[in-house]
Amino acid sequence: MSLPTRKTEDWRWSDLSGLDALAAQPANDAAPDLAHYWLDLDGPRLVFVDGRFVESLSDRRGLAVTAVRSAPRHPLGDIAAAKATSGLWLTRSANAAAIGPVQIVHVASGGASHLASRIELAAGAHAEIIETHVGAGWSNVTCTVALAEGARLMRTTRVLKDGGAHTDFTLATVAGAASYTSAALVAGADSARIEARVRLQGTGAFAEADGVLLARGTQTLDAFTLVDHAAPGGTSHQVWRSVADDLATASVAGRVSVARDAQKTDAVQSLKALLLARTATANAKPELEIWADDVKCAHGATVGELNRDALFYLQSRGVDPAGAKALLTRAFLGDALDRIGDEVVRDAVTADAVAWLEAAR
Amino acid sequence: MLEITDLHATVDGKAILNGLTLSVGAGQVHAIMGPNGAGKSTLSYVLAGRAGYEVTGGSVTLDGRDLLALPAHERAAAGLFLGLQYPVEIPGVSNLLFLRTALNAQRKLRGEAEASGAEFMKLIKVEAEGLGLSMDMLKRPVNVGFSGGEKKRNEMVQMAVLRPRVAVLDETDSGLDIDALRVVADGINRMRAPDRATLLITHYQRVLDYVVPDRVHVLVAGRIERSGGPELAHQLEREGYVRVAA
Repeated sequence: MSLPTRKTEDWRWSDLSGLDALAAQPANDAAPDLAHYWLDLDGPRLVFVDGRFVESLSDRRGLAVTAVRSAPRHPLGDIAAAKATSGLWLTRSANAAAIGPVQIVHVASGGASHLASRIELAAGAHAEIIETHVGAGWSNVTCTVALAEGARLMRTTRVLKDGGAHTDFTLATVAGAASYTSAALVAGADSARIEARVRLQGTGAFAEADGVLLARGTQTLDAFTLVDHAAPGGTSHQVWRSVADDLATASVAGRVSVARDAQKTDAVQSLKALLLARTATANAKPELEIWADDVKCAHGATVGELNRDALFYLQSRGVDPAGAKALLTRAFLGDALDRIGDEVVRDAVTADAVAWLEAAR
Repeated sequence: MLEITDLHATVDGKAILNGLTLSVGAGQVHAIMGPNGAGKSTLSYVLAGRAGYEVTGGSVTLDGRDLLALPAHERAAAGLFLGLQYPVEIPGVSNLLFLRTALNAQRKLRGEAEASGAEFMKLIKVEAEGLGLSMDMLKRPVNVGFSGGEKKRNEMVQMAVLRPRVAVLDETDSGLDIDALRVVADGINRMRAPDRATLLITHYQRVLDYVVPDRVHVLVAGRIERSGGPELAHQLEREGYVRVAA
């Protein structure tokens, strides 16, 4: 197994050194309690344990679950393609009967698990997918997304593991007037690498790749999103908010590249990090590569601390220091979380963030 | 009700308050006036318990309770309210969430039942209307995009909802046009009650035309140099701090 090291620029903030050791650990086969991970949404519910689909815990509603034997060429994708035992192959056509949001809970019981998925939406088709990762060990997931003309996909990824590592790679291609929207919340894993490459290859395509990283203790969390504007008139947003406390590290790199003929591109990139302790580390790296001349690319990257005046203002009104900190941190995360379009999902992910904040009190 | 005795305080090692003694009784409004640098804002921050303001001597009690022994949030729950000279903007937190969080945090600390959503809305609606702040504004983030006058009105709404025992208002009148000044003064007057005291810290006599104080104190170099009735404010306006304090 050959994984990239920090010597490679695109992996400089990732900590993959412990993955081999995690893979060698024995699995804990206790049956997981999944009840509180499901959102109140009417749609299929799928459970994967260690990368294997578990029919008895799932409610497929006719969705086919088959192993995907290919993954995008990528250091993590190659491993997933070689080792994945199962996966989700979701294809939807525009006239397919509505199935509602697809919820997937991935349970990692320890050791290593690999999963390769593929989502294909035909012209004009819609789908919403919410994935929740729980448990321990190393989970490696890859997803290939292909959206045809005017298709719309909304994805949400929650990483709520108790420890271990999470690596996640998505390669998405978006045709004209199609829309790819993703939001991620990463907490819990000792180390995580979440990477998405989105290519807008048709006129007027849309991409949104947002997320929050919540790191404390000695966690090392790392997100990397790339939006490649290959066609004219595309719009993209990358909004990331990360929080690092204790000795943790939260890193976000965002890249926007605009090809020579991708005129009228409108790209917004906002990467902000909040340090809750002076001993924590946050990295934010915005990258723009623009070859077209008639484009709008707004970008901002900051690393800061909570506003002392605001903290005192809240305390002077009766809110204790921990409560003031939590309220201001939640407001900071709102920039990213409030962009989630589905209200039920938005509330659930916000609740995940609040639970993370409350755990420190 | 509020007893300040021989209070000494430093900021960054520099002595700002140098033996300040002041007693504000229940039902009274006292004005503290003084030139720039006299220690007016330092006094308000020391009373509220802001980090970085070090008390090096003296005592402060509220209803006999040692205020200086409490962290800032517990002083608020004990009944102290600080109206800020420059109210802070907090993006991402609505005025309603801010105030409800504050009210319930105080109630919890006092061992009282928390206000339900409906109870809170009823409470704030009455006060906001009285002070001319619309509910639409209260749904917006705390003070973000508010004019100077709106920020001060917002402080008055917070004070009215939190119903403190002692209100310390740090230049709440500064930067206001005459209409806003009247609204703010009205907010202060409406809070006058036999079981409540107000310490009005101000640079100008102007606000005292609308809020008539029981006592006026002149603060110079961190200590009360003179005290008197409402007429002292007029004398200060005519003659200036230098002559009156001399």
